[in-house]
Amino acid sequence: MERRNEVLEVIRNKPGITFRQLARELEIGIGDLQYHLRRLEKEGIVFSRRIGKRRYLFPKGFEENAQRLLIAISTDTRRRILLLLMRGPLSQGEIATSLGLSQPTVSYHMGELKKLGIVKTEERGKSVIYHLNYDPETIARIIKEYRPSIWENLADRLIDLLTGIGDEK
Amino acid sequence: MMSMEITLALIAVVLSLILAKVSFVAYKKSHLRPALYLLMAFLLLAVKKGVELLQLTERVERDVGLAIGGLEAVFLILLVLALWRR
Repeated sequence: MERRNEVLEVIRNKPGITFRQLARELEIGIGDLQYHLRRLEKEGIVFSRRIGKRRYLFPKGFEENAQRLLIAISTDTRRRILLLLMRGPLSQGEIATSLGLSQPTVSYHMGELKKLGIVKTEERGKSVIYHLNYDPETIARIIKEYRPSIWENLADRLIDLLTGIGDEK
Repeated sequence: MMSMEITLALIAVVLSLILAKVSFVAYKKSHLRPALYLLMAFLLLAVKKGVELLQLTERVERDVGLAIGGLEAVFLILLVLALWRR
């Protein structure tokens, strides 16, 4: 029971932790951890979401946030944008230049991130500055463990190709 | 010569299905309409090559020229729509 409380405590403190990270952190056997997680999930205290090749664990009450976060990091370009914004606020043009992307592609992804509430905007003169609007530690933890499948990688390239159509560069 | 044609048609079917799956994953992730058009286009291409394959292997004896021409036209229309605008 004490071990289960430790598992729950870590998930509460680090929402979005993966099974592997959790096992490493608690130095607990895979079988033991699977048993405790099954019990916690059955009791509805924690829940998990699979994306890419990893299963992420979240505490109860985090459902909406988990959904937003996992959609936000589901494409390669958005992960790169979020990592870039962790260093500080940037304009759309600066993001496009730093990542070597076209303006329409960045515009599409920023629109999606804004809709999800992961970034917020601030108007500074003529340009719009994007700020991260979510706990950077949680975002970094989820991105670090994210392992996309080959289909997802190919789909990400197709999305960038389609969103880049119409670029005047 | 015939077996070479069948092999090439089979390769085209497999590649069309792979591209259809990539488009499907892209659509699921982004809900971009062009990805949906591409998904439909690649599925139609796979169907078209499948029909051609059936004719090559003499499983279909009817003239399928009109059906193939129609599928080609719809495939190209979907490609144009995908490139049109987001």
